[in-house]
Amino acid sequence: MSAQLAAALAAEEAAIYAYGVLGVKLTGDGDRTEARAAEAVHRGRRDVLVSRLSALKASTAPMPAGYALPFEVTDRASALKLAIHIEDGVAQAWRAVLPVTTGADRTTGLNALIDAAVRATRWRRLGEVTPATMAWPGRA
Amino acid sequence: MRGRADLASIVLTYRVKRRRLIGLAAGGTLSATALAGCGLFDTEPEPPPPPDALQPVLDEAVALAAAYDRAVLAEPGLAKRLTPLADNHRTHVAELSRVIGKTVPSGAPASSAPSGDASASVATLRKAEQAAQKTAAAACRVAPATRAGLTGSIAAARAAHAEALR
Repeated sequence: MSAQLAAALAAEEAAIYAYGVLGVKLTGDGDRTEARAAEAVHRGRRDVLVSRLSALKASTAPMPAGYALPFEVTDRASALKLAIHIEDGVAQAWRAVLPVTTGADRTTGLNALIDAAVRATRWRRLGEVTPATMAWPGRA
Repeated sequence: MRGRADLASIVLTYRVKRRRLIGLAAGGTLSATALAGCGLFDTEPEPPPPPDALQPVLDEAVALAAAYDRAVLAEPGLAKRLTPLADNHRTHVAELSRVIGKTVPSGAPASSAPSGDASASVATLRKAEQAAQKTAAAACRVAPATRAGLTGSIAAARAAHAEALR
């Protein structure tokens, strides 16, 4: 379970970094409000994971100082594309947590998977990317 | 849809309830009409095996796909928006049927004609997705490891559908 939770932590940290990068390229209050809310949620999940992994006495890799982005973020369209990419990645990390957990840990993972899938769809909707949904969120 | 979720518990408590009914009947507090159809004097059949825990999730996927098909038939302009969601549900139906070990339900939803006000509005579809999300999430929380990802993704897909219908 620790390995999957550590992977989820890495995904959440990457999301926090990405929202910092993409947030400044967004235009319009709706976009920015959404990005701030998303970043706050990912920070909350990061904190939950750090304390859970600490309780499990599991070691985690330190958060990298920077990330190689999968593509350049230059405008609103590429910022939305990165937000979608990030939420899809977070969903995949949390889905992998489900089979190796039960009880409260399973519920945490499920809520995170659902939230990431909803956010990915919201970004697709805002960016008018179709289809806005997929059959298997989190399935790589 | 709601009723199906309780099916397992109904099956499990069926015998207990019958005993109680018989007890009530002996006390004369229950009318004869209330007892009609209870099979009180029949030899007690073995209760059917409880349905698979994923059956309610499958039933909802079938019903949702059909509801989208009816909505599109009633209002073809919605096709572009709704068809991908219906397709997701059909993908779920196929996978759930495989996991449960059943053949895919044969009721071809697209062939059913739109029946007046029976076709769901987008708002109604959204409510149905939210209800169905709860069923899938509940199934995920208690699912064995082999089904946790499947049910989790279905709950997430249904939640995302509700978001797409906003």
